[in-house]
Amino acid sequence: MWLVWDMSILLSALSLVIMLLLIARRVLHERRGTAAADQRRFLLTALIAFTENRDREALKAVLLSVPASVAIDAGFEFISLLRGEEHDDVVAAFNECGLPALIGKQLERGNGAERIHAAEMLAALRSENAVASLLSALDRDRSREVRIAAAIALCDVGALPPLVITLRKIGIAGQRSRRLIELFRRFPPRRFEELEDHAGRQDAVPFTRAAAIDALARSGGFRFADFFARAVGDPSAEVAAAALRALGLTGHTDAPTILVKAMANDDWDVRADAANAAGRLGLSELAAPLAQLMDDEAWTVRYAAANALRSFGQPGERVLQEIAASEVSRSQRTASLILAEGPAI
Amino acid sequence: MMVADWSHGIVLAASILSWFIIGAGLAQTAVYLLQLIVAAYALSRRPPVARSALLWHRYGDVAPPIALLVPAYNEEVNVVESVHSMLALEYPNFEVIVINDGSKDQTLQRLIEGFKLVKFHRPYEEAVTHKPIRGLYSSPMTERLFVIDKENGGKADAQNAGINVCRAPLFCVIDGDSILEPDALMRAAQPFIDDPERTIAVGGTIRIANGSRIEAGRVREIHLPTRLVALFQVVEYLRAFLMARLAWSRINTLMLVSGAFGLFRRAEVVAVGGFTRGSMGEDMDLVIKLHRYMRDTKRKYSIQFVPEPVCWTEAPETLSVLGRQRTRWQRGALECFFRYRSMLFNPRYGRVGFLGFGHILVVDVLGPVAEVLGYVLIPAFWLLGILSAEYLLAFTSLVFTYGVCVSVCSLVLEEAELQRFPRARDLAVLTAVAVIENFGYRQLNNFWRVKGWWQFLRGDQGWGEMTRTGLGGAKK
Repeated sequence: MWLVWDMSILLSALSLVIMLLLIARRVLHERRGTAAADQRRFLLTALIAFTENRDREALKAVLLSVPASVAIDAGFEFISLLRGEEHDDVVAAFNECGLPALIGKQLERGNGAERIHAAEMLAALRSENAVASLLSALDRDRSREVRIAAAIALCDVGALPPLVITLRKIGIAGQRSRRLIELFRRFPPRRFEELEDHAGRQDAVPFTRAAAIDALARSGGFRFADFFARAVGDPSAEVAAAALRALGLTGHTDAPTILVKAMANDDWDVRADAANAAGRLGLSELAAPLAQLMDDEAWTVRYAAANALRSFGQPGERVLQEIAASEVSRSQRTASLILAEGPAI
Repeated sequence: MMVADWSHGIVLAASILSWFIIGAGLAQTAVYLLQLIVAAYALSRRPPVARSALLWHRYGDVAPPIALLVPAYNEEVNVVESVHSMLALEYPNFEVIVINDGSKDQTLQRLIEGFKLVKFHRPYEEAVTHKPIRGLYSSPMTERLFVIDKENGGKADAQNAGINVCRAPLFCVIDGDSILEPDALMRAAQPFIDDPERTIAVGGTIRIANGSRIEAGRVREIHLPTRLVALFQVVEYLRAFLMARLAWSRINTLMLVSGAFGLFRRAEVVAVGGFTRGSMGEDMDLVIKLHRYMRDTKRKYSIQFVPEPVCWTEAPETLSVLGRQRTRWQRGALECFFRYRSMLFNPRYGRVGFLGFGHILVVDVLGPVAEVLGYVLIPAFWLLGILSAEYLLAFTSLVFTYGVCVSVCSLVLEEAELQRFPRARDLAVLTAVAVIENFGYRQLNNFWRVKGWWQFLRGDQGWGEMTRTGLGGAKK
């Protein structure tokens, strides 16, 4: 019992001492914070002046006169607002002041949030040592979020290793992140075939395959339509649904046949995406199968089918009105609801 | 001989009772200290991103759509301003669905006037049950806003109506009188971006806005409350969120995502039937149902707490209102514990059954009863010479000194990693409050919790009146 008492006194006293130290630290930070805010303002003023007079030496003098952390922090925000020559000139000044080397250190030694930010800053500054530092982070960093940030930054500077290697380095756990969607969307067109290869790999994670298809559909356009048409038959529902969304964007000569088949898929996500694609492509000849889908057990599918019919204009609306006027059923209710959607009259 | 036996029996009974009381206190303290260690580790592993502009730059393109569900019951004073501030949140893809839960005041009328609402037909799936909807409204001023007018059925019922009407894959529940930080959704959505397959729910931090300067539905300047009752709650909330929830989140046994601010994946919530209507602790109830469902179906999942997204709320400033709130919370915890008691120490539910439910058992079920018993019996036994001073000191340390340690340590965590209190003076005040709350306030709280136990046993289902003065005004 004495131990309980003694320990409680010791722990309470210790916690109070630590707290008092933290309060003292805060007092110091408050004083330094005012100085940092002044330096930040000073730097931003110099950056704005630079965009007018392009005096690189004056800018460098200011960059070197403020603490590196302030220069990096304020500079990154400013650089992200610039484009073209102005952007390149400011980046050159930052590079000449040796700031990327400091960011490289932050990428190695900072905490998780700082390392991710460092990867982004290195990509923005595009310094000579950026690629080596980012490759090292992709290779060795213990956090998957940092590895993904490094991969995105490498993609931005045009030095991303082959996709297979990149994904292996990111690791299986990291291959569930929606940040990969962003990585794929940033892929340069000359490397789209890598995305296509990955999307077609049966042994890859379905989420990343679907993300690759989405990226190809957004940027690759019709040249991958045949691939999307094949991918609709993929055993993974996630991949098949992504392929249907892609087909809805690009279209395909066999789209009607492919979509009708997909509308009978066991997975409701696939059926809904098939209906959505039919609506997006305006395939009014698919009115009959869409009308059948309006009796689907899943609300999402029924709603997608009804929406697709409505998107066909008058012919589709006529079908919906016929269904709405029929006997009470799931499809009748869905049709009535869709026809009524909008402001009440 | 008889007298000796009798007195021996009394001493034995007193010792057993004292051991039970001290054992419960020790278990509770051990849980708290464990939480502190795990929370410190979790914070060090996942340091916060300081600026929201970076988040937008990083996640803006891949952030999933979110529906903000805002139940409103008799909120005519603040509802328009609250909705304006929600519509101004910094998130790329969201809709706000206000659910007027049969308010007796002018809540709906204020909304109709404030946003020029018109009746609207929107098809929706009747996936979870709720009281009938009288009408849906949309606003020509913004495509993001929908209002549901329904018959009164309570908060859970209103949230269920919102779940049915919303179309986003994620929904966020928030109280109508709370204020979300502009970047709160973006920060709360982060686990859904980093691990979209497994993340099914995320909770954020609730902070107390009393005393802060509020303008146009935004917290402009953070200040501490001026009233002691609200100050105590600042420390309490810090302990609850930064220590307990962060720790349990780290080991995926989080049992509560606050109904005042929580983000959920719609599909899983629909699969468990939505919020349990009429429940006192509908937020805890839902999280337990999600754990049970995911474990029963053997799916990998994660329910997380992220400390950075902040939702501001108004804390009760009088003891009577606070007491009603705490007895209700206690009834909610007990209701959930006994409703899902089969999960307790059930190997099928793994660490949720052992740690999550074990925590509820120690802290919510046994804790207050043991501690209140201790206040009376331990000093009495010592005065009667039945117990030695050792026991009294041990009990005193558990009630007071460990309490100081735990409260101050949660402040240490806050300052070491997050630094959200703007001035050193605030920290000094809170440190003092963290010490003195253990001498009176903690005991009062336990008394309310025992009262909650009593009401639970009597089957009292009343919510009690929660008087609010509103956050809309200037600094209070």
